[in-house]
Amino acid sequence: MASIRGKAAIVGIGEVPTGRYPERSFIEQSIAVAEMAIKDAGIPKKDIDTVIPIGVVANPLDNANVVCSLLVEELGLGTSAKSNFEIMSGGSSSANALKVAVSLVLTGLSKAVLVVHSDRMASGLDIGAAITTFARASISQEYEVPFGFSQLALAGLLQQRYMHDTGTTERQIASVVESLRKWAALNPNAMMKTPRTADEVLDSPMLSSPVRKRMMNVLADGAAAFIVTDAARARELTETPAYVLGMGSRCTNFTVTGQPQDIQKSWGPAVQDAYKMARIKPSDIDVAEIYDAFPTFILISLELLGLCRRGEAGRFVEEGHTSPGGKLPVSTNGAMMAQGHTGAGGGVAILVEAARQVMGKAGARQAKKADIVVETASGGVGMDFHVGVLGKEA
Amino acid sequence: MTSEYKKPLPLITGLSKVFWDGCKENKLLYQRCKDCGQVIFFPKMLCPNCMGHNLEWKESKGRGKIHTFTVTYDSAPPEFMSSVPFALAVINLDEGFSMLSNITDCDFGKLTCDMPVEVVFDPVTPEITLPKFRPFAS
Repeated sequence: MASIRGKAAIVGIGEVPTGRYPERSFIEQSIAVAEMAIKDAGIPKKDIDTVIPIGVVANPLDNANVVCSLLVEELGLGTSAKSNFEIMSGGSSSANALKVAVSLVLTGLSKAVLVVHSDRMASGLDIGAAITTFARASISQEYEVPFGFSQLALAGLLQQRYMHDTGTTERQIASVVESLRKWAALNPNAMMKTPRTADEVLDSPMLSSPVRKRMMNVLADGAAAFIVTDAARARELTETPAYVLGMGSRCTNFTVTGQPQDIQKSWGPAVQDAYKMARIKPSDIDVAEIYDAFPTFILISLELLGLCRRGEAGRFVEEGHTSPGGKLPVSTNGAMMAQGHTGAGGGVAILVEAARQVMGKAGARQAKKADIVVETASGGVGMDFHVGVLGKEA
Repeated sequence: MTSEYKKPLPLITGLSKVFWDGCKENKLLYQRCKDCGQVIFFPKMLCPNCMGHNLEWKESKGRGKIHTFTVTYDSAPPEFMSSVPFALAVINLDEGFSMLSNITDCDFGKLTCDMPVEVVFDPVTPEITLPKFRPFAS
């Protein structure tokens, strides 16, 4: 396979605050982030010839409308666009959209690709859709639904075995929340800015053991967008492109029962592929923007990424190394635990944050050094694992 | 019991019917590929290893170990809120397949990963019997 290293870049990003915004309509927040990304890139809008909306969870009609080129018409792209199509793989939609966008610009099939996520999980959620999404999606109707499984129980199952295998303490897991809240306090777009200590997390009620209430994310309204083009065009447009240096992924299962029990073995190759393509090793990484949904997933991912040895991620976080001022900034937007859960947008927000750090546009939470940033995503009940490496130099 | 049971029942398809009919007779069934020997669960149309169609049904002894578990106290699916707390687990059966189920007849505080469990059949309606698990001294 020909290497795509440094041949495409994210050149513009846009994001609105995540949280509960009942007065902000779906179309308003969608167009707001698209406009921000276009202006941030300084790209003439006629250069955007592919529009990729990410799947909408809260409202099936909004979803149908973006599938049917709502954004193309609203942005006035009808004379330049060649394609509008949706990408949807839940939490990993960001990674799959980046993969497709990079492929399109490198084959010459597109000049520039605009990816837009928008969803209203806090104030626009259809109750039927909510039940389908969180109580039934990714769960076998034939063999799992009768036992009372949920996405919350999934978090419990994963955390229980991780603690058993590694000796990680409940307090160390709670410290992930503490670290994410510290980042969120520096992020004007985050929902959960109130600081929480690990002890406060441990004081919250048990929901599905060993997962406590404050270890859960909160549903939110939000939107984010990014623009991808080839490296030559990126250099003409901006002095701060976020070059795509490497990508790796593995898609392994549908149900939690079908999830490989040794994920180091099943998902590790996704990390190796991305690092090999980017020609980096873990010690080259300045910032890790890790997809969460719940805190244990960040610890597991730190170990998968080779940033901590197996079983040591909890202590690493507890010692403060992932927090503001620490030696390895992790999930600097606060991730879904603190920025908010916007449906398929958690991964998009993480990818946009990775680009933002590389571009040097992260404001109060800008890492001192963000030359090489790794980002991750995962969909379903942990159906896949995606790794992207972005960099300042091609 | 029939009119009282309000929780969701399994989706019955041509394939899943064989499994659930087995449960009704207190038999825990899984598949095995006669071509390559692959043990298969959940039941499938094709062997996930060799894509063969030559699958046979086998009866499990119903014993295995808890791979991982969680006790749900709150925020369960709506139909299950009246039953909290309840335990969910991924069980690794001795025959080499895994399934999701409930752990019953036990002190939830004493559950551990890798604990030995055995199947116990719970007839929740005249048509559907759920295979649940309980700890046993190995």
